[in-house]
Amino acid sequence: MEVLNLEFNEDQIDALREFMNVSIGAATASLANLLDAFGTMHIPKIEICDSSELSQKIESTINLESMYYATKQLFTGKFGGECMFIISEESARNLGKHLYKATTPSRDDISDAVIELTNILTSTIVSRLTQELDTQVQFFVPSSQFIDAHSIVNSEDVADYSKIIIISTILDFKDQKINGNIYILTKDEAIKSLKVLIDKKIEEIYG
Amino acid sequence: MMEIKYPDVLLDSLENGHMIIDDKFIVSYWNRWLAINTQISKEEIIGRKLDEFYPNINYKVLHRKIKTALLINTPSFYDTNSNVKFIPMNRNKVTTSSLMLMQQQVTISPYIACENKVMVSIYDISELFEAKISLKKEIEKVNKLNDKLEADQEIIDKNIMMMRTSFDGVIIDVSTFFCQFFEFKKDFILGKNISTFKQDGGFSTTYKELWETIINKKCWSGELKLKTYKGEEKWVQSRITPILDSDGEVLEFSAVYHDITNEKLLEELYITDPLTKLYNRAHFDEVVNFIVKHQRKADTDFVLVITDIDHFKSINDTYGHQVGDEALISVANTLKDSLREDDLIARWGGEEFVIMLKNVTLDEAKIIIEKVRASVEKNKINDTISVTASFGITKYILGEDIKKTFKRVDDALYEAKKSGRNRAILK
Amino acid sequence: MKILIVDDSKIGRMSVIKSLKIVKPDAELFQAANGLEAVEIFKEEKPHVVFLDLTMPVMDGYEALKHIMSIDKEAQVIVVSADIQSEAKLRVLVAGAKNMYPKPINDEKMLQIFEQDLLL
Repeated sequence: MEVLNLEFNEDQIDALREFMNVSIGAATASLANLLDAFGTMHIPKIEICDSSELSQKIESTINLESMYYATKQLFTGKFGGECMFIISEESARNLGKHLYKATTPSRDDISDAVIELTNILTSTIVSRLTQELDTQVQFFVPSSQFIDAHSIVNSEDVADYSKIIIISTILDFKDQKINGNIYILTKDEAIKSLKVLIDKKIEEIYG
Repeated sequence: MMEIKYPDVLLDSLENGHMIIDDKFIVSYWNRWLAINTQISKEEIIGRKLDEFYPNINYKVLHRKIKTALLINTPSFYDTNSNVKFIPMNRNKVTTSSLMLMQQQVTISPYIACENKVMVSIYDISELFEAKISLKKEIEKVNKLNDKLEADQEIIDKNIMMMRTSFDGVIIDVSTFFCQFFEFKKDFILGKNISTFKQDGGFSTTYKELWETIINKKCWSGELKLKTYKGEEKWVQSRITPILDSDGEVLEFSAVYHDITNEKLLEELYITDPLTKLYNRAHFDEVVNFIVKHQRKADTDFVLVITDIDHFKSINDTYGHQVGDEALISVANTLKDSLREDDLIARWGGEEFVIMLKNVTLDEAKIIIEKVRASVEKNKINDTISVTASFGITKYILGEDIKKTFKRVDDALYEAKKSGRNRAILK
Repeated sequence: MKILIVDDSKIGRMSVIKSLKIVKPDAELFQAANGLEAVEIFKEEKPHVVFLDLTMPVMDGYEALKHIMSIDKEAQVIVVSADIQSEAKLRVLVAGAKNMYPKPINDEKMLQIFEQDLLL
């Protein structure tokens, strides 16, 4: 039986971080376009953990008393998985206000704004990443849930996934500070493909 | 790549709506599905702006989504859960549901970027939506039931003695109350076979009957005597139910117990002679009368024996009542030890005992009683005082009045005494 | 020719270096992993060209650029960044960079940079 090595070495993580950086750059630009504001880029932190740790990782970044919008978008391809984005109710409301030019945006408006944001983030990040890696991907409809901090991760939701790539970044747009953590949930196959693609890229560059 | 001929025909054949519009909302393509579901023909709408037909759409939002799709070069979407509809349409399928308005998934895909053209696709997801809603309702129902079940289970666990075993007796689960009552720790008892806790002595027939009943996939009810961890005897009213699997084979056993120790002790007091611990006369009478009344073949096959301690009065006078009592106890014990579990022994009077030997012939009884007589003679009180007893034996005749049987056995005893004591006479 | 490559990512630096080895194979290359190191090396080695990333720890690209330009107002700095916002480009050009390119740079772009953007 083949023992799956899903761990990343330093060079691979460095490469992944760099690709994510470029992807976030593209996402920031798209979001800047959407929000009509300049986005200050911050160095994203990349971490790879097991799916069993997701719940814990998320809880360490959020306020357990608040409500959150958790959006998910599925993507398929050689590198396939699910992109999860968690945004606080406050950030979401600000986003809704800004996009819908309303002082009190409706729940529907806010939800739509959050989905828009997620779509841009997911599509851009994953597209850019897969572009760097010379592979294609298809995106599905994003879905959004307005839930309390404790219900964000359902153990069943993560059961199918093996590794989570956590991109911690602050999307800093003038008066819209969108604190976001992007979680990319992947399955064994996807991680394997990702490693292969990364190694190919590393070889190209390092020669 | 192979060129697709007649792309229009292809798009028209799809069961979803597809239109091509630009960032000024001018429609340049409108497929058949849309024409049918909006009642707007493509001839009417192509070249015109969408807002001429649908002024109520939020065009700021649509514009933003078009821009996004073109910018990121991947589809953008309308929120499927939103109550805000893109183009409101009625469901065209005949349905009994109350959901009349079509639930849509709207996807905006980049088409020709340099012309700012996108394809807007509409998918009817009403059925999916309905399924989601009814599923949600069912889940809520189940959750409510589960909560109630959990609450009930807790009550049962804390107040009722229950046990579950595998088909071969390995204990799978016990209720908290059971553990408390029998003073066992749950971990200690789980995984052990129930036979390790069985109380032998006096109840092997009960267990035999129990086992035979449940192995035949029937329920068994009865009284069991069990010991707690500390060795205390308890009586429980038990009901054991076999649980069958889908093939009708025994999967598990489920047992419920109810403490009847106090009632049993009381019962025993009532039918027990306090000194010798044998049954008392009242009990013997009850048993015999019952048998005689019902005349069941199995029960009516018995031999009646009466025994009387020889010279009991003089033992009392000579050695004192204490020794007299000891003699009674000693003889009682000898009788118990010499006879079988199933044989009924009772204290009949001051120095008299009565025995019901079950399912024996008169000859067999004679041999048995002879052994008993010899044991009584052998067992001295305080190792010094010799005690003997005389015995009268008779077989119960089917259908007979019990008084006649007793007369006969009394006569036999009388003869035993008359002819020298320390012997058994048959009649 | 001395060339300084600044990027907190090793593979980011290697990507630039790969193209440089083709376009300027004889150049002496220096590397820095953050803005502070970049400024120090710039002071010491006075490289002819600097390739600068923007998002870096300790001192980011914007600050490093300001420092470098104040040390040498003729400094030839090319910003190579993940940040592709047009406003970002505007900011760095205003601060003195000769041009800004999105990552990754390929050989053609590199050639173009030496032919059109830099005054050497």
